[in-house]
Amino acid sequence: MPAPGDAIARHVVTFGRVLREVGLEVGPGRIGDALRGLDAVDLTRQEDVYFALRQTLVSRQDELDLFDRAFLAWFLRAPVLPPVRGKEALQPARSVAVPVERLSEGGEEEPGGEPLEVGASVHELLREKDFAEMSPDEFRRLRRLIQAIARMRPRRSSRRRQPDPGGDLLDMRRLVRRSLRTGGDPVDRAYRSRKQVPRKLVVLCDVSGSMDAYSRALLLFLHAVVGSGSGVEAFAFGTRLSRLTPDLATRDPEAAIDRCTAAVVDWGAGTRIGASLKEFNDVYGRRALSRGAVVVIVSDGWERDDPDLVAREMARLARAAYAIVWVNPLKGNPEYQPLAGGMRAALPHVDRFLAGHNLRSLEELAAVLAGIERRHAA
Amino acid sequence: MSFRTIDELEAALRAADYLPDRGLSTALFLGLALEKPLLLEGEAGVGKTEAAKSLATALDARLIRLQCYEGLDVAHAVYEWNYPRQLLHIRAAQEGTVSEDELFGPEFLIRRPLLEAIDSDEPVVLLIDEIDRADEEFEAFLLEVLSDFQITIPELGTIRARRKPAVVLTSNRTRELHDALKRRALFHWIGHPSIEREIDIVKLRVPGIPARLAAEAAGFVRELRGLDLAKPPGVAETIDWAMALNALGRQEIDAEVVEQTLGSVLKYREDIEAVRDETLARLVDEARTAAR
Repeated sequence: MPAPGDAIARHVVTFGRVLREVGLEVGPGRIGDALRGLDAVDLTRQEDVYFALRQTLVSRQDELDLFDRAFLAWFLRAPVLPPVRGKEALQPARSVAVPVERLSEGGEEEPGGEPLEVGASVHELLREKDFAEMSPDEFRRLRRLIQAIARMRPRRSSRRRQPDPGGDLLDMRRLVRRSLRTGGDPVDRAYRSRKQVPRKLVVLCDVSGSMDAYSRALLLFLHAVVGSGSGVEAFAFGTRLSRLTPDLATRDPEAAIDRCTAAVVDWGAGTRIGASLKEFNDVYGRRALSRGAVVVIVSDGWERDDPDLVAREMARLARAAYAIVWVNPLKGNPEYQPLAGGMRAALPHVDRFLAGHNLRSLEELAAVLAGIERRHAA
Repeated sequence: MSFRTIDELEAALRAADYLPDRGLSTALFLGLALEKPLLLEGEAGVGKTEAAKSLATALDARLIRLQCYEGLDVAHAVYEWNYPRQLLHIRAAQEGTVSEDELFGPEFLIRRPLLEAIDSDEPVVLLIDEIDRADEEFEAFLLEVLSDFQITIPELGTIRARRKPAVVLTSNRTRELHDALKRRALFHWIGHPSIEREIDIVKLRVPGIPARLAAEAAGFVRELRGLDLAKPPGVAETIDWAMALNALGRQEIDAEVVEQTLGSVLKYREDIEAVRDETLARLVDEARTAAR
């Protein structure tokens, strides 16, 4: 008498469809698990049915809320409709036609070879020019240069080892095998060495009004950095923090920048550096995202609120991070002194303080990132 | 030992001094019933590792634990050859009488947790702790092991599990795990327990603690979790702290003793400073009123 079982199966399959509609990934394998799960529990206990479905159909903590609403709506007929996942805010805002628009076509007709070594005077000029003063055309040519810079990543040695004749660790498995021929004497020795892997890199980019002129160039830089491999996390902040990594992970910088612009709704508003750093430490620092990472903060240090909060949160960040690099475009001006309250409060916790107002200074940044050492124990 | 209902499993976990909520019992039960690995996530100190240990006790199974770390490789997770013994063996034998087969035989094999778990005749709970700390290469390898429950050693051949171990994975979410691994496993998020449950847990884990003290300690920690702290205390901290208070012979808490023992609840200097003075006195008052 398969009737009740069939009814449940239909119910679960439809519920799976509801979940897919709100954005959860529910494949046939999971539906199968859910059915087997329901088979094993007491169907008259609502709580057990709930957990059996949740544990088989959801695999991320941040999807639990979505699941709960869908469950309420579907199984308990509660008068709430599951919301469409918060994607509205992330729709690409095509109207924000910043001049970086056609970047993906630009650059292809550049002369070949290593962009960084092109010594032509045009490039030389471009290198020194302040981002704020660039024409859209110049900006377009900037892209490939920025990409080459972004590929230099700080490295660290991994605990994982690889065969290496010049290495300093004995490869015992091979050594034993080779010693068979020499009666147990380890004459022919094999070595391994520790593999070099990219160090985690976290970039926090200020996109508030006072930084507007530099944001475009820096977002290009961010995009190139995220494209350079795994272990990179990018965030934008103004009055609040917004994680950019998923948006920047596309191959098309134009679309990525469009999405960023739309996602960071406070684009052009004031800056709350301390509060943004706190949010970063609370949410991402607790998940050890910053532990052992090189953290790059791009901001002019104009804090709208309390500089003390900046100092406190910088101290927290500095304890977790491997090193902190602060990039301040204003530093490109020889007259500049770090007088802004937020900047002054942050500086004691900063390992390297750089300009970042033009291409040359981004090169400097890349060189610093490639060779950065841990700060002395403070 | 096997369980026919969630209630049976829950009773066995209680007998092992572990008080799960219904969600966790269901998750552990389904893991056994569906023979799937269970991925437990949650803040530090909510009892993820403890859950696996108690499951082993409840099942009367052997607990095999693999603690993950960055760079964890096959040699430390699965097996390794005993090189010093191999070398000695070659030297001790007559020249040319040792074959490679002999040298790479079971006698010279060092068995690490995964191999132990797969190649066991007794029931096993395999705890893969803090999988998020291992790197992605290892995660991919683990995925293979958890799909086929078999391990191949080039010199010896393939070893198949004769009975599938119950597998519990824990993660602190320092990074997102690979989707393929998540698809393979059931998932349960452990939150902080309700106040009643936390009081029960304290009473169970700190034998002889006055009921009043248990309630006040749990209440105070609950207040702390409501504050904006860098690292909110978990159940593990509540238990540690209650033990300390009980060892001091307290019947209830007051501002003075809380101040002296705060270090066993809060592990960051900023957090300790944030609750000093007025905040502390207020929280103590609230916890005491609530416990009354």
